[in-house]
Amino acid sequence: MADTAIPSAIGGSEPAIGRGLKGLLLVAIPVFLVGWLIIYPIIAAILSTLFVDGPQGVHFSTASYQFFFSDPYSRANLALTLWTTGLCAVLLLLVGLPIALYLRFSTSRFADLVQSLAIFPMFVPSIILSYALIRTIGPNGTLDILLNAIGLPKIPSPYLTPWGPVIGLVWDNLPLTVLMLTAGLGSISNSAVEAARDVGAGPIRVFWHIILPRMGNSILVTISFTVLGIFSSFTLPYVLGPASPEMMGPFMLRTFNDLYDPLNAKTQAVISFVFCLFFGLFYVWSIARNQRSQTR
Amino acid sequence: MARLTIESLRKFFASTVAVDDFSLDVADGELVCLLGPSGSGKSTILRMIGGFEQPTSGAIRIDGQDVGRLSPDRRPTGMVFQSHALWSHMNVFNNIAFGLKLRHLPRAEIRRKVEAALELVGLGGYGHRQTFQLSGGQQQRVALARSLVLEPKILLLDEPFASLDQHLRERLREEVRDIQQRLGITTLFVTHGQDEALALADRIVVLRNGQCEQADAPDVIYRNPQTQFVAGFIGQMNFIAANVEGGTFRHPEMSVAIGAQDGPAVLAVRPEALGLVAAEGGAGVTVVRSTDFGSHIMVDVELSDGTRLKAMTSPAMRWERGTRARLVPSAYALYRDNKLVVSGTVGASTAAPAFGAAPLVV
Amino acid sequence: MIRTYSSTSGRFDWTGFLFAVVLAIVIAVPLLVVFTWAFTEIWRYPAVIPQKFGLRFWNQTLSRADVWDALSISLQLSATVTALSALICLPAAYAFARMKFPGRDLFFLSFLASHAFPKFGLLVAIAAIFLQLNLIATFWGVVLIQLVGTLMLMIWIPVAAFQAVDRRMEEAARDVGAGPLRVFWSITLPQAGPTIFAAVLLTFVSTFYETEGAWLIGAPQIRTMPVLMINFINNQVVIQYGAVLSVILWVPSFIALMFARRVIGTGAFAKGFGA
Repeated sequence: MADTAIPSAIGGSEPAIGRGLKGLLLVAIPVFLVGWLIIYPIIAAILSTLFVDGPQGVHFSTASYQFFFSDPYSRANLALTLWTTGLCAVLLLLVGLPIALYLRFSTSRFADLVQSLAIFPMFVPSIILSYALIRTIGPNGTLDILLNAIGLPKIPSPYLTPWGPVIGLVWDNLPLTVLMLTAGLGSISNSAVEAARDVGAGPIRVFWHIILPRMGNSILVTISFTVLGIFSSFTLPYVLGPASPEMMGPFMLRTFNDLYDPLNAKTQAVISFVFCLFFGLFYVWSIARNQRSQTR
Repeated sequence: MARLTIESLRKFFASTVAVDDFSLDVADGELVCLLGPSGSGKSTILRMIGGFEQPTSGAIRIDGQDVGRLSPDRRPTGMVFQSHALWSHMNVFNNIAFGLKLRHLPRAEIRRKVEAALELVGLGGYGHRQTFQLSGGQQQRVALARSLVLEPKILLLDEPFASLDQHLRERLREEVRDIQQRLGITTLFVTHGQDEALALADRIVVLRNGQCEQADAPDVIYRNPQTQFVAGFIGQMNFIAANVEGGTFRHPEMSVAIGAQDGPAVLAVRPEALGLVAAEGGAGVTVVRSTDFGSHIMVDVELSDGTRLKAMTSPAMRWERGTRARLVPSAYALYRDNKLVVSGTVGASTAAPAFGAAPLVV
Repeated sequence: MIRTYSSTSGRFDWTGFLFAVVLAIVIAVPLLVVFTWAFTEIWRYPAVIPQKFGLRFWNQTLSRADVWDALSISLQLSATVTALSALICLPAAYAFARMKFPGRDLFFLSFLASHAFPKFGLLVAIAAIFLQLNLIATFWGVVLIQLVGTLMLMIWIPVAAFQAVDRRMEEAARDVGAGPLRVFWSITLPQAGPTIFAAVLLTFVSTFYETEGAWLIGAPQIRTMPVLMINFINNQVVIQYGAVLSVILWVPSFIALMFARRVIGTGAFAKGFGA
């Protein structure tokens, strides 16, 4: 740590134990909230779906999970969610990576403009976006009006089909994808690229041999973050997506609020956790590692 | 008007000893420089006096009062940091006035004092400027004014000029010296630059590994270094390692009669006390380089064992590369295990401790 | 660096131009459509330009009681959550940045947990707990669930801001006689101010637009603006209500946009997500 040269904090006159206690007290409430409202509910959800209240007391049961995986409707919802999440992640990388590359290496003034535009959706709430997309690509929307005006047939509207949420989610998640990828590209020095150009590598070789190997990690972090966000997204699939099958977000809400069935809603939540477990773990691991290398 | 007393100060960090049994007495109005290489503990001592570090043991007294356990805001000390540490969200006036406001002085008095302090550091009328609009030298002056306006008993300066360029540094240190003498404020100054210490200090404390090597007036430090480390750290110094046998320091190219016990030792000779005489035939040392500094010429010579020495000669004589020469030391000191054994001048009796004071031998 | 519309090689930057045009169309057109609808009285297919512009639907939307109720609820919620979040998170962020205590690194990383699980699954798990505590459909239930979502942003960004404050500035303030609290108030907080202000603003805005938690926990008693908006989309035949509401809803976001550019520029925002 950089601290070794100046090891004491301000207030060096207090005993070390007192300071440690003070620090713990200051962080107590937020840490308690994390424990009470994140860690505990997750553990409670897992335990309460596995140990169910029966006529002869609490007993172990996987009935709710068996129901989920035997129910064709639940399975269709899960499949739709996986399909949407995977497709969005691929599309976001395909769109985000070229923009991030351009932003990293361009010196022209368009770069500022492109950055502003790419980040702009961050300031458009998803609820407004949903409404705007309905009016634009919905039936008889602006796109249809424009196509009609130049004498072309209407498009098959993605509104209320699985493609509706895909378009909305890509739009909504583009800013963070671009920001995170640009941050990852920032660690590649100009001189590394210039040295490769100097020995005769073309742009594609530079990308393949110099840039891609070094940003593998940030691509994975970006994917993890998008997957975690999209897997259980709610607003866009609820408004733009089909009523049946539906994505896990709306499905859980309906099970909890409309069917008053917390047990199955919790089961669906736990299944979401399991499917996202790898991405969550990778996200935490990679950030913890970053954090450590920054502080040491 | 204050007197600073430090008694067997110790500071341990986790596994290392930063300051080891350090004692110092600073008289009223005295300017003492703590000089040493990085990691010698000089900044740690200063920060312990300012209250930013807790001593592991030992006492710090100001006018006899023990301040060792007081927090920085309760100590009558004022510190100027290396990075000036001005508060960039306040203008110059508010930077200097902050401490006065904490003391609830009347508004008019604050204004008067701040303006006087700005005047003192030569920045009259700069009060409304933002700190980032100032040059590095001006920022450091504001930091000085910020400390002085509170009339601290002890002024602490932690390498205040380290980030400035050479020219500015020289000017600022003269100004600091002027202000310090005018105010008669007891001052402790940390630096790793020997020039700065020699130019500023009433007394220099040379530190190594958290311990005091020598504490003396600048001329004594320079002319009579008590340890081999001090001899090498202050000014230029030639060291020649050989054996003392039968009262003579014996080296193939330089033998000096010396009143010391037999055994390995290191002879130290300043360049200005090392004369060169043209040698006949193939004997003597070899000239490897000669650099003209205008006022004098510095000649580098190589001994047969590979040791390189520097000799300061008069511009009247040219030494070509490859020339053979004989070494004629006029003053020397002999060290054994870092400690001074004996010093003296050649030709005269060994009684005179003056070192490097002898006239140049050409 | 002098930036022009050409790259360093001197040619016109066609790639940038293309990116800018495509992004502008994809991002701006849907929003322009909403704006047009908000100021339209009659727009029948297939006219390219609305038949009649006017502010009639503004009057109608703004005279609806449910709109004002929702706006009031949303503002109360956002203000409460932001204030609470700042109150508990800023001191904690300062402790993480400046103090040493057992478990510091672990606790700091624990805030990642809010981002490491699929959001809605987590909300359902929390809702199941609130069900037992009778917090469903209450104001404070919604406050709590939205508060959890703000923790990471309000801890991680301020920690970075506090760590960026030169420790010697704080020491210099101690030196001239300020106590620890005074140093925090007069030196540390103003120095970290702009970044912390941006974090507070982002918290307010993101809470204002938070939809899932508000609906899951708040329905049907607590109806926020975004929830009302979903109702309008699903159940209202009058298209303009939604459009007018969108324009109104977008105002806080626009203010955030104005202030947040500097934060995004310095990359502090990405830090809030651990990037």
